[in-house]
Amino acid sequence: MNYTNCGNFKSDYSKDTALFQTGFSRLCIYSLLIALVVMPFVLDSYFIYIANMIFIAVIGAVGLNILTGFTGLISLGQGAFMAVGAFSAGYLSLQGMPFYLTIPLAGIITAVVGAFFGIPSLRLKGLYLSIATLAAQFIIEFIIIRAEPITGGVIGLSINYANFFGVELDDDFKFYFLAMILAVSMTMAATNITRSKIGRAFLSIRDNYIAAEAMGIGLFRYKLMAFAISSFYAGVAGALWAYYTTIITVENFTIMVSIQYLSMVIIGGLGSVLGGIFGATFLILLPEALQFISDFGSNYYPAITQIVGSLKEMAFGLVIILFLLFEPEGLVRRWKLTKAYWKLWPFSY
Amino acid sequence: MKKILVLVLGLLLAAPLAFAGTVKIAALIDESGPTGDVGKPYGEGIKDAVQWFNDNGGLNGDKIDLIYEDYAYKVPQAISAYKRFNREKVVAIHGWGTGDTEAMVKFISKDKIPYFSASYSQHLTDPAKAPYNFLVGPTYGDQTTVALKYVKDNGKARTVAFLYNDSGFGRAPFFPHGEDKAKELGVKLVDTEVVGLKDLDATSQLLNMKKANPEFALIQQTYMATSTILKDSAKLGLPTQYIGLNWTFGKKLVELVGKDAEGFMGTSGFAFWDNDEIEGIKFLKELNKKYHPELTFRPVNYVQGFSSMYVLLSGMKMANKNYDGENLKKIYEGMKNFDTMGLTAPVTFTPESHKGVSALKIYKIENGNVKPMTEFISAQ
Repeated sequence: MNYTNCGNFKSDYSKDTALFQTGFSRLCIYSLLIALVVMPFVLDSYFIYIANMIFIAVIGAVGLNILTGFTGLISLGQGAFMAVGAFSAGYLSLQGMPFYLTIPLAGIITAVVGAFFGIPSLRLKGLYLSIATLAAQFIIEFIIIRAEPITGGVIGLSINYANFFGVELDDDFKFYFLAMILAVSMTMAATNITRSKIGRAFLSIRDNYIAAEAMGIGLFRYKLMAFAISSFYAGVAGALWAYYTTIITVENFTIMVSIQYLSMVIIGGLGSVLGGIFGATFLILLPEALQFISDFGSNYYPAITQIVGSLKEMAFGLVIILFLLFEPEGLVRRWKLTKAYWKLWPFSY
Repeated sequence: MKKILVLVLGLLLAAPLAFAGTVKIAALIDESGPTGDVGKPYGEGIKDAVQWFNDNGGLNGDKIDLIYEDYAYKVPQAISAYKRFNREKVVAIHGWGTGDTEAMVKFISKDKIPYFSASYSQHLTDPAKAPYNFLVGPTYGDQTTVALKYVKDNGKARTVAFLYNDSGFGRAPFFPHGEDKAKELGVKLVDTEVVGLKDLDATSQLLNMKKANPEFALIQQTYMATSTILKDSAKLGLPTQYIGLNWTFGKKLVELVGKDAEGFMGTSGFAFWDNDEIEGIKFLKELNKKYHPELTFRPVNYVQGFSSMYVLLSGMKMANKNYDGENLKKIYEGMKNFDTMGLTAPVTFTPESHKGVSALKIYKIENGNVKPMTEFISAQ
């Protein structure tokens, strides 16, 4: 499904994996980056808040997509890994560390924890692995509630806002830049991972692990690496969330969060960085859009508030089912189809 | 032509007048999520309180515009709702759960919006950390203290066991608060047992407890697990007297357990629908006859929601149209022994504590009704 302009020939493999296939795509990406920088200056704080939520979700979803989409290992533990990241960042920041150290450290700690819980993946596949990662979710929650000296137990931790050389990132506008820079750079990193040897190893494990091993790919090593990378992303997302709300409790990282991230990946498109971005954006915007309809509708029918409340829950399930039925490859495929359509417009055959 | 001009001018002048007297207040409740069963009646209590104020002159003539939202117990949705409330320029908010209220503490303090909630979390009672959070209701810790005091005063062996579920909610009252308090009061803690919130069998835990033979057992659960414990305990013939915290009992427990619920004791800061002798309950029954003639019964959560919103709105009424956050905070902090018609103990907020109520009653189930067996006992 890769349509490129006619006359766009490639003469070696490195061009085939180039980040920007054409000058036009380079232009698009650069203008998107500029738009991202300009955006907070024109939007009001509610929309900046939504953008912040999307950035955090994008980091988590792109990370999970590396594990589930690229390597084919289903994980139901993303929520718990985010908790590990949030609590590590919280604990370290209470020891007096600045956020530009705690966030990467939180990612590394989470990567180690994630790799540990990834060990069963060598023996387990598919459904069995998802149950093993489900266990990770519960074990981590259990430990966090018990480890009171570090995590504050059921009460959790209360930290200060991130402090960037004297500037407190205490509102949506200031937080936006931190979240945006992290989201953009981590998405870039993910794109580059998928273009490298590691990314190709992940894909081969997903497509046929026996063939992959026969080709000399160390399964255990690469599976653990997938878990570590994905958990690193989860850890950073969790740490960001910690700095956003500044109160960290285990209630924010339940199994529902894990399921939500898995649905982001499914809805967006498995095995594509863009899919993670689309899925995260879509699932953050969906409840907001429903709420908007409800607010608008309740001017005419006050009872609609109650209906939409329950509808939000339903819509979530409904959307997943509809996507699995009609677009199993996710929003990303729609996007490519749309692009292809416009490429030939208005003279398509 | 002149007529039309006058009409248009008149309308233009009247329009701001019609809008001048509205105050926006938001409520954020879980109706469709996991705590929806208790959230829904709580929310109805809030709505009725608003309607009652609106029908009786509003806030010194200002009409209350309630923005009501169901957030399904999801923290991100709650924060998103809060951002929208902020955009609508609400002056006060009534919220619901622990996770979401805690997640918003910093935002609330920064935006200076008084925030009442149904969460009895420790984070929220200390004004140094959460200057704009208020709560009307005794914390789990206070409830445990009062129950232990009762054990100390009325027990013979003064031995006690804790039955809880292994979650934040379950552990909050007992560890470490309950353990420390028991030691301090000279009550001996002989056993702790974990019963899951949705367990349908507690026999093995109760057999364990039987060996320790406590005189009293404190329960922190919801209806479901409490009914399991009571049924299994009756089956095993344990002599232990159970005292549950506020979520364990109510009419629903009697329905679930039947005659084995007789004699069950519970702590609650709020009056029950059966307590006709209380002025507030009489008042609420009248109110419901008028607003909801089809209803004959209300769970205690309705009373909870009503009293909490009643305190919030009364404070705003006292503010006399100055709805500035700092001013409201000052007014709430000046509330001393505020009377909620007996629905709760008199409410007192101070600059040092935003825990409105720390006294509560111990109730007992008699002939299927929840009846108070003590006067208000203070946790202090």
